[in-house]
Amino acid sequence: MTTTRPIATARMYRRCLGAHLRAALEYEADFWILVVASIMMQATGVIFLGAVFARIPTLAGWTLAEVVLIYSLVVIAEGVGSLCFEGTWYLPWMVNQGDLDYTLVRPYPVVLQTMSGAVGLNGVGNLLTGGLLMAWSLSRVDVDWSPLRIALAVALFLSAVLIKLSVTLASTSACFWVFGASFMLPTALHQVGELAKYPVSVYSAGIRVALTVVIPFAFVSFYPAAAVLGHGQDSWVGLLTPLVAGYCVVVAGAVFRRGLRRYESSGN
Amino acid sequence: MAARAYLCMVKVSARTVLTYRANFVLGLFAVFFQLLAMLYVWRLLLESGKDFGGYTWPQMKAYLLVAFVTSSLVSAYGDFRMAARIRDGLVSLDLVKPVTYQTARFAETVGRAALELAVTFAVAGSIALVTGGIPVPDLPQLLLFAVSIAAVVPLKFLVVYLSTLLCFWTQNYMGVAWARTSLVALLSGSLIPLVLLPSWLQTTAMLLPFASLTATPAAIYLGQATGGEALGLLLTQAGWVTVLWVAGRLVWRFAVRQLTVHGG
Repeated sequence: MTTTRPIATARMYRRCLGAHLRAALEYEADFWILVVASIMMQATGVIFLGAVFARIPTLAGWTLAEVVLIYSLVVIAEGVGSLCFEGTWYLPWMVNQGDLDYTLVRPYPVVLQTMSGAVGLNGVGNLLTGGLLMAWSLSRVDVDWSPLRIALAVALFLSAVLIKLSVTLASTSACFWVFGASFMLPTALHQVGELAKYPVSVYSAGIRVALTVVIPFAFVSFYPAAAVLGHGQDSWVGLLTPLVAGYCVVVAGAVFRRGLRRYESSGN
Repeated sequence: MAARAYLCMVKVSARTVLTYRANFVLGLFAVFFQLLAMLYVWRLLLESGKDFGGYTWPQMKAYLLVAFVTSSLVSAYGDFRMAARIRDGLVSLDLVKPVTYQTARFAETVGRAALELAVTFAVAGSIALVTGGIPVPDLPQLLLFAVSIAAVVPLKFLVVYLSTLLCFWTQNYMGVAWARTSLVALLSGSLIPLVLLPSWLQTTAMLLPFASLTATPAAIYLGQATGGEALGLLLTQAGWVTVLWVAGRLVWRFAVRQLTVHGG
């Protein structure tokens, strides 16, 4: 019985998400607007990199293909977040409106109900651009693809996505404590994460430490990329990515649970 | 009579920003962190000694700070409110008010823009001081710069307003806003100075109103455009404001026919 439960939980998650996906796809024009818009957003970043690297061979010791790998990891993590866990972003709204009440009486983890509560179709555009960028980058970088290295890449990149999701969950869970500013806090933090689209070695020591230790955005892109590419000392730090991911998942889960215990319905 | 109503809207929208100041400041965060990343990347790039359109580090800093100010202007979520009112039909209440819809939205934008200008100039000034200063043009050039920044307010308002009117046809304002933000960033020069883009993109930017949003104030601040050339750029800004203002009125007249209100 206990061995089948994670599978049942996952199947349930897929069904929740599927319902929202079908609802979202009813608006066909919206789907195209979101996909095109998210591709345009990522394209501007790529055009910037292209214009810069047209004049310079490396940035802080990283070639264009390597920087594109870093960039694509952020884009893919955002894409997975939008497509499969968009509901996380609506938590402050649900708390504010008292909509969280419904989830409390259903026999399924509240956190998973929240996370599967919406679908962001812009994720499709992000995954398309991110996937293309990553494929382009990996076909160009100088890496010896042994089975072990492929396994390492998969493990590190999955951990990277987990870190991004955990930070989003932890920051939206702040709405259990601060009601007013909570709508903007996750968005603001998300913007800090944009710093991780470039090698963090370009930043000053203070920002590097903040992105490594305080809010580990550097582990979403820079360190896992360094580890897979075998890029100097940073590659050793990159091997810690799964540990950091485990830590982030535990902390985000704890923040959400503690917040939920404080939840007082606003009525509905 | 109407002028007093608009003036009142200017004041009220400024006061709203002050009331929700935490959201206002966090909203500026987005642009601020982009600025931070760009400052570090560009310092490194220019230290490499390679040529980037002839920009020196202090000049590039000044460019990025001007771009920071122009991209923060008219971004305080007034458009999201307008989009929501169009979508759920509340805009019908605006139709019965004895003011012009477009002018009323512009009045609200002006109230917010005053605060945006104050905050962003303070931030830009502090960054300039902390990072070792930026070139400052002489007084006549500084006045031309002030005029060009002032022109950005109506111009950017109109770009935002016209794209928000699309909500009469689509449910999804988020996507429209993202697409607009990307287009404006790329073609205004706030992403990267236009001279560093491929020439076909440069030409596109110059033929459209976008270059007037960031490239123009930056060129005037850095003294790349002086005298007659600067005046020409200011006239181009004024021309675009006029054209887009009329376009806004026309699109509104057409768009409002799309409105279906199911009771309320």
